[in-house]
Amino acid sequence: MKPSRLPSPQRVRWAMLVATLLAWELVPRAGWLPELFLPSLSKTLLVLGSDWSIYGSALLITLGEVAISMLIACGGGIALGAIVGGLARLRVLLMPIFSSLYAVPIVILYPVFTAWFGVGPESKIAFAGIYAFFPVMLSTAAGIRTIDPQYLVAARSMGATLSQQVTRVIIPASLPTVFTGLRLGGALAIIGVVVAEMLTAAAGIGYLVTLNRTILDSPRVFAALLMILLLSIAYDIATRKLERRLLSWQPAGRSTIAMRGASSSPTTNVSAA
Amino acid sequence: MQQLADLGDTSGSKPGAIEVRDLSHVYDGVNGQVKALEDISMHVAPGKFTVIVGPSGCGKTSLLMMMAGLRAQTSGELLCHGAPIPQPDPKRVGVVFQEASLYPWLTAVQNVEFPLSLRNDPKTERRERALQMLALVGLEGFADRYPHELSGGMKQRVSIARGLVQDPPVLLMDEPFAALDEQTRMTMGHELLRIWSTTSKTVVFITHSLTEAVYLADEVLVMSARPGRIIDRIAIDLPRPRTYEMMATDKFGGLRERIWQQIRSAH
Amino acid sequence: MSALWTLLQRPKVHDAIAVTSAEVLVAFIIAIPLGTLLGVLIAEKPYLGAVFKPLLFYVFSIPKSIFLPMFILVFGITFAQKVAYAAFTTTFVVLMSATACVESVKNEYIEVARSYGATRRQLILRVYIPSMLPMLLETIRISMIFNFTGVMIAEMYASRTGIGHLIGSWGENFQMPQLFAGIVLLSAIAILFNESVRWLEERCSNWRT
Repeated sequence: MKPSRLPSPQRVRWAMLVATLLAWELVPRAGWLPELFLPSLSKTLLVLGSDWSIYGSALLITLGEVAISMLIACGGGIALGAIVGGLARLRVLLMPIFSSLYAVPIVILYPVFTAWFGVGPESKIAFAGIYAFFPVMLSTAAGIRTIDPQYLVAARSMGATLSQQVTRVIIPASLPTVFTGLRLGGALAIIGVVVAEMLTAAAGIGYLVTLNRTILDSPRVFAALLMILLLSIAYDIATRKLERRLLSWQPAGRSTIAMRGASSSPTTNVSAA
Repeated sequence: MQQLADLGDTSGSKPGAIEVRDLSHVYDGVNGQVKALEDISMHVAPGKFTVIVGPSGCGKTSLLMMMAGLRAQTSGELLCHGAPIPQPDPKRVGVVFQEASLYPWLTAVQNVEFPLSLRNDPKTERRERALQMLALVGLEGFADRYPHELSGGMKQRVSIARGLVQDPPVLLMDEPFAALDEQTRMTMGHELLRIWSTTSKTVVFITHSLTEAVYLADEVLVMSARPGRIIDRIAIDLPRPRTYEMMATDKFGGLRERIWQQIRSAH
Repeated sequence: MSALWTLLQRPKVHDAIAVTSAEVLVAFIIAIPLGTLLGVLIAEKPYLGAVFKPLLFYVFSIPKSIFLPMFILVFGITFAQKVAYAAFTTTFVVLMSATACVESVKNEYIEVARSYGATRRQLILRVYIPSMLPMLLETIRISMIFNFTGVMIAEMYASRTGIGHLIGSWGENFQMPQLFAGIVLLSAIAILFNESVRWLEERCSNWRT
């Protein structure tokens, strides 16, 4: 194989993206797939444009729910994760329980939330908050453990007081872990809210998906799907950019401290939904 | 040719001297009490380069930590500069660790400034002083680099600069070159001697390498396995400045051999 | 708790459990070979890896449930639809795990075997597989979790059968005792499977640090 002959992976990805978009447009037009299954890209975009006010307001509702869930999940998850990770006793006690609970699909709890909180945003926030909470907590707990204790010994040898040790050493050292937690929490919150909105809701983008599906309005369904897709990807790109900028002191390649913090299984940082 | 240094010199109040008297240390291990150090007595004269060698686990790092004020002994006296050292005092004692322990989120110069920033010294003065120290260790151009951009040897140099930034009379070094490859080690050792000769600090240096010990030291203290005791003091009367060529001499080899014999017999 | 017991007795619930189990199993049987094949491919051909690996990260941050409507449009609300969806979501996880598995076999192990003249077949059987075994078990464990979740989501979203559907309707009708009983039942099954595989993993991992 002559590697220099093959196009760069980056190019291939872009090519794939363009090909997909083209297919999306042409396949339904040519009739290879019924418009019901796959409305053409242009139709989808048109509908999105004409109904922009509907989609826009739905998006805002969804974003609001995501924001508040993130607050719960990241705020609580990072704080608790730091505590559990830092205290060996707690960690040894609680971790096995949590990793067993991981096996249970949290979705099945959602009907409880709708029964208690109704169909409005509260149930979504509660669900997504919990959904995102545990992975963030686990990730933070693992990440906290990667902070080299020698940093604190060195600080003490330089005469740092306890509060200086916390503000000047522990906090900067845990930034990569915190960022990973935020990125993870946000992504999971988006997923949680979307799933909840699709299941039982009265508003939001996920709701629009279900609504239009039941009336078999495919272009509108796909318009909503497109929005969700763009939202997740935009969030992912934005947080990675932010991370790279603020954590420029990390060695090249992924933030290695945060990576080491993730457990050995490659899948604990991903969601099932 | 080799003399056992005499313990009787009690000029512990002269600046830069370290005085240890009958120090013992016991801690709680998994199976009861463990005696880490036993009846350590030593005197380090000001401006001297002392190296401590001994088998793993003999307690030399613990001893150094006590000299740094990071740990307290269970019995006996330890004086630095005439006064005990219950807490770290970076103005009296600078510490260089085996792992450079530079903070990855700070640049080289910020790392060197760190001890000064803990005391809220004015910014411009801090930076100037830190840059001076970096120049001393030969890293002027690297002030704004992050640790991940520096090699192992360079990181240790920054660590040394950090230890010296408050101009303490005493510098403690715990196997600082252990993580470096042999060639870098030799270069760093040479560098260290150069820096030391221009600053006349008292240095206490721990190492596993006998070659390093003989090359660097004025006096080598040999410790036994746990419980650590000082079983020999060997004066290294090779002329200064030391050169690489000295390593090939019989005298050098003889001194090394003697240290090695002592360590082996101590098991 | 008593609700749970009465629940377990009702034939309607038995049917639902049967349906759900069938979906879970079939989806699993589809996803594992498919995902493994793709995963191994990506691991073996670095070029493919370079192209597709960054994409995988995006795949995991999007809610895959958004594809449910597509599956419904194509398959209708049927057994096949749920299986297809679950297999779809699970395949990605299996893929990623399989890739990691293959890549985890240390190069040194391979070099040593090859230097002794091991054939490709011997390499696979005597080096790759034993080395990957604990991780393979972990893959199975985690994939099942994702699989189960996928089936649950599909059933809760649009279905006339299955436990997920039952749970959804109990919630809608505020039949809380049944709802909680159902949740407990499902959790118990999920945890049981998880821990059994994990136990197996432990047994096989004693050579790992």
